[in-house]
Amino acid sequence: MHAVTLDAPRPLESAPPTFAAVAEELLDDVYGYLLYLTKNWALAEDLTSETFETALRRWKRFDPRRGTPRAWLLAIARSTALDWFRADSRRRRREERAEAREPRTEGDPGLGEGFSEELEESLRALSAGEREVIALRVVLDLDGEETARLLGISPTAVSTRLHRALTKLEERMRHDDVA
Amino acid sequence: MTSPELLHELRASRPQAPAAVRLRVRELSAPEPARAGERFRLSFRRLALVAVPAAAALALVSAGAIGLSRSGPAAEDLRLEALSGEDAKTAPSTAEALTPGAQGSATTPERAQRIGATLTIEVRNSDAVSRAAQDALDLTRALGGYVVSSSVTTGEEASATLTVRVPVGSVQDAIVQLSALGRIVSQQVSVEDLQEELDALERRARSVREQIARITARLQSGTLDAETRALLETRRAALRSELRQLRQGIAGTEAEARMATISLTVATPGALGAVPVPSRLDRTLDEALNVLVWEGVVALAVAIVTAPLALLLVAAWLGRRLYRRREEERLLTAH
Repeated sequence: MHAVTLDAPRPLESAPPTFAAVAEELLDDVYGYLLYLTKNWALAEDLTSETFETALRRWKRFDPRRGTPRAWLLAIARSTALDWFRADSRRRRREERAEAREPRTEGDPGLGEGFSEELEESLRALSAGEREVIALRVVLDLDGEETARLLGISPTAVSTRLHRALTKLEERMRHDDVA
Repeated sequence: MTSPELLHELRASRPQAPAAVRLRVRELSAPEPARAGERFRLSFRRLALVAVPAAAALALVSAGAIGLSRSGPAAEDLRLEALSGEDAKTAPSTAEALTPGAQGSATTPERAQRIGATLTIEVRNSDAVSRAAQDALDLTRALGGYVVSSSVTTGEEASATLTVRVPVGSVQDAIVQLSALGRIVSQQVSVEDLQEELDALERRARSVREQIARITARLQSGTLDAETRALLETRRAALRSELRQLRQGIAGTEAEARMATISLTVATPGALGAVPVPSRLDRTLDEALNVLVWEGVVALAVAIVTAPLALLLVAAWLGRRLYRRREEERLLTAH
């Protein structure tokens, strides 16, 4: 069992926020989340831009009483990423290509600056769903409720999923150490 | 690497958006769009928040309006109608029925008839009972009649019972004016023909007179023996006695036909055991409740009819949601 101690979520300072301020403050969160989800920095950049374009179009419909700007933006980012995954799956089926993991290219900045090689490879070996819950709960410090709402599952399911992902990550790193 | 170390490394190496992406997003968000709250948004929740109370208010208002319109005139008017509606109409017609020569009249002026009327009048309270009884007595005397009997009981359930006789020619006026003393609860008029009885009495009286005259003539002839004379005198005495009785009978019948008997009961509602008429508010509430019940029945019927469709829609929505969630899981596992 992991002793997961997480910091409290950071409150958004400005109220009422402007879109520019929200975008400036949450850009790293959105990009980091998408990078964890796709494990492809170029794709994460494209999806980040797409996310903010969508968010800009929908900004007039955003109601701060129904959730934080971060949860709202991450939901859009998730939807954007899932749309891309769907399109990618269709494309792969159409081209009759076997699903293969994207090889890490030269100059790829990786999932995090300063990550050890073992951690980077172990993270990449996880599924997108596992990386997603690590990104949301650990990297972005979203609380259980917020993450549950974003993923459309219960807070208990979030905890379970996070526990499994971290266990898997730890085991994989231990295996790499042994190898 | 232990879990705390792992978490620390994950947090410490938080990805930073490249400068190119940051620039792109800054350019994108340069023109500040309007945000929610600056304009009115008609969400489903807001719509429901307005529509549900509005529908409930409409149901209540319509029930109240229909209840008010169906509850009819004011309670006092209704009470009058309830008490005197049909009976009030019968008062003039009853009086007309007693008007000699009138169309539909039950009386025949040239015939001897026994006319009787029974009236029950409701008044508000004990004082009104006393006043009405006194007025009835005064009226009777004014019409040339007389009081046969009178009984007045005061108190919460006060009542007065009067039997009066008035000339047949004034019976119409008597009924009309007695009916005006209060609210008519019941009214009954009876007409019984006495002419045949009177004619029979007069025929018998004529016959008796003729027999007496014949016997008197034989007795005056002077040819009768003593025994026959005695028999005839006895016979004449009996006939004279019968004639006296017949004359009394004829006089009594004619007297009966000259005067009508009116039995009048004046009482408070409590004494009559009258059922209180509900107030207009009560009737409005009853009617409104009935309308609400019907609205509920209609709403229930609509719910029953639309429930299967609604269930299908909910099932379809849940199915689609489940499908999308599984598809998302599959996509997230595959990538």
